[in-house]
Amino acid sequence: MTTRVNTGPGRLLVAVYGVFALAASARAGVQIATKFSEAPLAYSLSAFAALVYIVLTVALARGNGRLALAACLIELAGVLVVGTLSIVDSQAFPHATVWSGFGSGYLFVPLVLPVIGLVWLFRTRRLGQV
Amino acid sequence: MFSAYSGWVIGAALLLAVVSLVTAIRNRPMGAVVLAGLVLVELALVVQAVIAFPKAGQVTEQATFVGYLIGTIVIPPAAVWWGKAERTRWGPAVIAVAAFTVGVMTGRLLQLWDMP
Repeated sequence: MTTRVNTGPGRLLVAVYGVFALAASARAGVQIATKFSEAPLAYSLSAFAALVYIVLTVALARGNGRLALAACLIELAGVLVVGTLSIVDSQAFPHATVWSGFGSGYLFVPLVLPVIGLVWLFRTRRLGQV
Repeated sequence: MFSAYSGWVIGAALLLAVVSLVTAIRNRPMGAVVLAGLVLVELALVVQAVIAFPKAGQVTEQATFVGYLIGTIVIPPAAVWWGKAERTRWGPAVIAVAAFTVGVMTGRLLQLWDMP
């Protein structure tokens, strides 16, 4: 099971997560370094999202299915909570994070990605048990 | 000059993304065409970074601009490193993601460049 998570479709998944880890970290880094006081909550969430993507990229690449599963669930919760809050309470989120508007600034990939990730992790887990 | 050149870079990156995607859909592993295409795109991105880097001072969002420049030249080698071990259709799929990403990032570079 540990070797299957990061091969085949899993290899593509790692590549996509890697891109998001890079994008989210760079974005959070710039936001926190240059204008943190403008929107501390949004920028802290930006950094949190970046951290989740980094953990997921590494966990998937190394075939650590259990850690990836946990991070994937946190990622899905994060997108849904931040996405909803950014629409309901736009005052608290005047500045975009990766998860604002359910990831609308990134072609909604941040919303779809955790779902695909969970499907893939559950599939490899079941295959591993057979 | 920067804008015209980057337009060609975006075109080349997106073309490579399509070629890689077609390769993946046809269920072929990564071949010479995809690899050569990626090398060419990488060279074009390095030239772009060399042209644009000294001009970063003229851009409002300087840190973001430099970050994108570095990102575009780091992503293709990383994609080859990660995708080459995969001798299935998922190898070229990794390259498709990388090529699409550097295309979009070059588009963002142009936006940042044109911003007052």
